[in-house]
Amino acid sequence: MTNVKKSIFTAVCMALCVVLPMAFHSVQNAGSIFLPIHIPVLLCGLLCGWSFGLACGIIGPVLSSLFTGMPPIAYLPSMLVELAAYGLITGIIMSNVHTKRIYADLYISLIGAMLAGRVVAGIAKALIFSPGHITMAAWVTSYFVTSLPGIIIQIVLIPSIVFALERAKLIPVRYPQISRNQ
Amino acid sequence: MNRMPIGQYIPGDSLIHHLDARVKLIAFILLISTIILTDSVPGYCSLMVLTAGLLFVSKVKLKTALGFIQSLFLFLMVIFVMNTLFFDSAQPICSWWIFHISLGGMAQGANVVLRVIFLMIFSSVLMATTAPMEAAFALKSLLRPLQYIRIPTEDLAIMISVAVQFIPVLMEETEMIRKAQTARGAKFESARLREKAASVMPLVIPIFLGAFRRADELSLAMEARGYRGGKNRTQNKQKPLRKQDILALLTAAAVCFIQAYAF
Repeated sequence: MTNVKKSIFTAVCMALCVVLPMAFHSVQNAGSIFLPIHIPVLLCGLLCGWSFGLACGIIGPVLSSLFTGMPPIAYLPSMLVELAAYGLITGIIMSNVHTKRIYADLYISLIGAMLAGRVVAGIAKALIFSPGHITMAAWVTSYFVTSLPGIIIQIVLIPSIVFALERAKLIPVRYPQISRNQ
Repeated sequence: MNRMPIGQYIPGDSLIHHLDARVKLIAFILLISTIILTDSVPGYCSLMVLTAGLLFVSKVKLKTALGFIQSLFLFLMVIFVMNTLFFDSAQPICSWWIFHISLGGMAQGANVVLRVIFLMIFSSVLMATTAPMEAAFALKSLLRPLQYIRIPTEDLAIMISVAVQFIPVLMEETEMIRKAQTARGAKFESARLREKAASVMPLVIPIFLGAFRRADELSLAMEARGYRGGKNRTQNKQKPLRKQDILALLTAAAVCFIQAYAF
């Protein structure tokens, strides 16, 4: 993929950071359950690489906050750190893991980024945003228990989107030799 | 979904519309600092006067500036109620089980809600008076110092301006897909989590496919016209700041200073 294409894909992911939460908010309580803003950021990191994922993770929530007021500015910094970590880490893992199986690459990158991003967000909250107020139990509850439906949706949805994009020939096939042999 | 709560540009002929977008962005950041520094009744009264003045000068209707209230009402109410009920106060008005209603809690809740409301009003005024492309160029100009630490600000500005232009297009497309899936029997309003999740899947995949198809076409068109990234791109010379821009900037700085020290 050329850099121009990566830039435009990143721009679209940034726009989806604004549009997707609005689409989900039209479904009752879906925004807080399915974490829609995470999906374009994770996808951007997977498809375009760590630098573009990082840019999407920083700019996407800022645009969303400016245009729709969600997330509110008070929660924006902590969310920004979390999303930036997702974009950065998915990109890094995806470019360094080559198992010759796209499923494995995608799931290793996704799950690795989801775990690492949540750890980074927890550390940032404990040290910067609400020092002394976050406990281990609160971190586990807010980042894993409450968001469990969102995590499951992301694990199911993001690989499906990648395959749909590959099939539509909008992104290059990751292992063309293997796909041809199959 | 039919309209954005805030962020719609409304063409106009007011003093704020004619200000340089860079000045408006810096003034917005200063006003955010002002809101964060405010936590007293006189402080909020002065913010209210400032907001009224801003709405009058910008000719943005109060209804437009407060358009977000309807969609965020529940969220704001929850913030207020949570603060009122769970604030850890030494002198609660009344206590029951884990709930402690106190004046401190109410004040804290009102503080948070008022900050969000003022922030949203200022965001509405900024977005209503600044064309998206002007805002993107202003951002590019303000980000320029980051070039010294090797951040590709030109590329970032292009991404932001493309993203901003894509938002209304994608919103329209999303609404169309949502209606199409509803016609096919998707149950978006179902109370059951499983049905809700099942209805989300056929909504999201077509949104991404449509968005990436548009992005693919745009990138092909850009490359065909010789675009190779922002590094060596030429551009019109940026207009210098005028007297009214400098005056507006000084006013915003003075307001921030007065608000921080007087209230």
